[in-house]
Amino acid sequence: MKRGKFVRQFGWLLCLLSGFIRSEPFQCPPFERQVLPNGMVLILMEQHEVPLVSVSAVVKTGSVHDGEKHGLAFLTGQGLLLGTKNRCKIEIEESLDFIGAEYQVSVYKEETALSVSFMKTDEDLVLSLIADILMRPSFPADEFEKRKSRHLDELTNNKESPSRVIRAYFDQFMFGNHPYGNPVSGTEPDVGRITTDDVRAFYSKQYGPGNTVMAVAGDFKTDRIAKKIRHLFGEWKASGGPADAVPADIAEPEKPRVLFVNKSDAVETRFMIGGPGIPRNNPDYTGIQVINTILGGRFTSWLNDEMRINRGLTYGVRSYFSCFIRSGAFIISSFTPNATTEEALDVALEVYGRLHDQGPDEATLASARNYMSGQFPPRFETSEDLANLLTEMEVYGFDASFINDFQKQVSEIDTARAKKLIETYFPEDNFQIVVIGKGSEIRPLLDKYGSVTEKEITAHGF
Amino acid sequence: MDLKRLPWIFILLCTVLFSQTTVNDIRSFTLKNGMQFLVVEDHSIPNANMFIFWKVGSRNEVPGITGLSHFFEHMMFNGAEKYGPKEFDRVMEAAGGANNAYTSENVTVYTDFFPSSATELIFDLEADRIGHLALDDQMVESERGVVMSERTMYMENDPWTLLEEQVKGAAFLAHPYRWSVIGYESDIRNWTKQDLQTYFETYYAPNNGLAVMVGDVNLEELRSLAKKTIEPIPSGPAPRAVHTTEPEQLGEKRVIVHKAVSSPRLMIVYHVPETRHPDYYALEMLTEILSGGRSSRLYSSLVDSSQLAVEVRATMPMGFDPGLFYIQAVCKQDIEYLKTEAAIYGEIDRIVRDGVTDRELQKVKNQKLAAFYRRMETIDGKANTLGTYALFFGDYRKLSTAPEAYAQVTPGDIRRVAETYLKKTNRTVGIMLNTGEDS
Repeated sequence: MKRGKFVRQFGWLLCLLSGFIRSEPFQCPPFERQVLPNGMVLILMEQHEVPLVSVSAVVKTGSVHDGEKHGLAFLTGQGLLLGTKNRCKIEIEESLDFIGAEYQVSVYKEETALSVSFMKTDEDLVLSLIADILMRPSFPADEFEKRKSRHLDELTNNKESPSRVIRAYFDQFMFGNHPYGNPVSGTEPDVGRITTDDVRAFYSKQYGPGNTVMAVAGDFKTDRIAKKIRHLFGEWKASGGPADAVPADIAEPEKPRVLFVNKSDAVETRFMIGGPGIPRNNPDYTGIQVINTILGGRFTSWLNDEMRINRGLTYGVRSYFSCFIRSGAFIISSFTPNATTEEALDVALEVYGRLHDQGPDEATLASARNYMSGQFPPRFETSEDLANLLTEMEVYGFDASFINDFQKQVSEIDTARAKKLIETYFPEDNFQIVVIGKGSEIRPLLDKYGSVTEKEITAHGF
Repeated sequence: MDLKRLPWIFILLCTVLFSQTTVNDIRSFTLKNGMQFLVVEDHSIPNANMFIFWKVGSRNEVPGITGLSHFFEHMMFNGAEKYGPKEFDRVMEAAGGANNAYTSENVTVYTDFFPSSATELIFDLEADRIGHLALDDQMVESERGVVMSERTMYMENDPWTLLEEQVKGAAFLAHPYRWSVIGYESDIRNWTKQDLQTYFETYYAPNNGLAVMVGDVNLEELRSLAKKTIEPIPSGPAPRAVHTTEPEQLGEKRVIVHKAVSSPRLMIVYHVPETRHPDYYALEMLTEILSGGRSSRLYSSLVDSSQLAVEVRATMPMGFDPGLFYIQAVCKQDIEYLKTEAAIYGEIDRIVRDGVTDRELQKVKNQKLAAFYRRMETIDGKANTLGTYALFFGDYRKLSTAPEAYAQVTPGDIRRVAETYLKKTNRTVGIMLNTGEDS
């Protein structure tokens, strides 16, 4: 809920997983990685600047494992907070609120993350709560029905804000029946028929120590906390995981296509133009980010320069690579008032074309390299940032060299290397375009971008 | 645990405000032209920031130029004497820096985030636009389009924007807090370059700004850079004060807004005093008691037990003038909004009648402490907190007395402020209903 404050531009750095510097530039702070006898991975990184501790406990499952009921991984993840064999929901909430902790479960395509930030004096209490929540959830029927009912409301309410749902439409359109197309939040009909039995079965199959990574960063003593965690989690012997990998074969789009989602009261058009991307562990990940910085990753990017600064078409446009374990998507994302929809789409495509036709010159690359390096350190300033980085490394299969070699990798991107990266990784044609807007004003102009499929935004699902 | 924690808060916060940095490490100097600088050296990362707070926001506007403060904020990036259109961003980003800015009802804040190697350049860029902004006709026109898109983006994606605009307009009869920060569409389309120039001359004199810098910097270097680049910019006359006082509200006001929504939304606002008022801390703690966490009064009652709402939140923005205390709720589908509304008043009445518990109050104090540490974890959080305290409480040193101010709030204070301010005659109720739905 925003309150009367208007910001010049939206954040540019949100879509990058990124790096870190402390006093020695570009070195990952030391951390300790342990594997418990039951297979759970534990990673500990001490940070003593403020008396806070952040835990990120990730189970390697998400919407890719939904199966026939979209939203199952989501509701299972949220269900963790509804009570355990030892504590009811209100006890959990009251305990964590009282000590000023912040906590949430986030469900993604391939991970379910329980994150808790707390003051160091509350270490024992929080660790025992986390162990309880992860190892002994009870999924009580009454609480589950309340949560489910609220989620059904959220699914409907989200459709009233196109920015919240366009990505689900895009992923479904881009990946089709592949599990990467599954909407994380599920669909109304599917969520409606998910029961506590489904959730318990999903938990038994997917959750377990062999499928879990716990990272702790902050103000603690490694030896002491490791001992406590090993004690608390040592008894976890659930059968779940490691989860089935998603199929690696993902069909490349064969022709340009448009999904038009009609929202008859829309005052602006929101769109995504995209294509196949890369898995997170791609060795060229950092180099690709340098190119994307130039295209649509910062305020002076080519897309923002042309669409916002020169033409005043939009408040913002950005491009990014959204990376999964085995694949990913490349996306250009923007919005514009109804009347300028065609111009905005045309200009976005035209500017993108420049990347392949001419590519960046050395001066532009130098600027992007400096920008990447200069903006790198603040992205891993907090314990929470670091805990997330550590779990991401485990889940997505990269390591500390991402940080330690970042500077070097950035510095290697010259015009020749840039050309190669663009040819290899930035889709050149067969764009998959999703447009949400007011049909009576913009429907006729969409044909020229590809074969059009139309949906009503009020229809269930994506 | 309750008893142990309180003295610990005192000791910790009074002496170690910025964890590794104590409050005594906040340095301050004032240039001859009146611009004040607050500096904290923090070498945890090789980066620094510069936050410049200007004491101008939508409260300084008048009908016809609503939204100009925010539009002006955009124009500060569009060219000055040395660095022409586009150059500010290009030069900064090429040196590894990034920036942003925001405008509220009270202030306009410009934020630069940069590797400390770019510190000198940042002063050069800021001094150029503060001293020699050059408004360009073409840039004014394209920026008008950008702001129109920003306005439609919020209107399309955030139903609260529309409701808030209408509710504020009803709650305030006279005070300029009545219009939204982004302004009315007709004003966005019609203000002129001369309006912008006048705004610049009136509000962007160095004596109307406060600079805060935190990070891998050196105080003496900053002082000499500030003297070299910003001190030569002449000060200006103090801008005219906003003297309009909102007349007392004499009865409840109700506003209905229709939009295509699947369930009603409520925005209930009450007039409350300005941030410097002694009741600020008790009211701020009341927002937390009402909606801070899932165990809070409104969440546990409306969202959890009775399932009358899917979201509920109480907030109170800081302000130079008396402002508003907000309670917002998204009703559960198929629930009559009057039931949700009545349940909110029921919770407020319960506080007025029975007060709050010591444990509830302690919970809020713990939450405030943890939130404070989270802000202090980053150089940007430190800069923003320092500047905010300096402006809204009149002195950055107030940061060191804030913990004591929170600690002194009693259950009786909470009850008193709830009774004094959250009463029917002092409220405006905004209700967003689906198009065509009868109220």
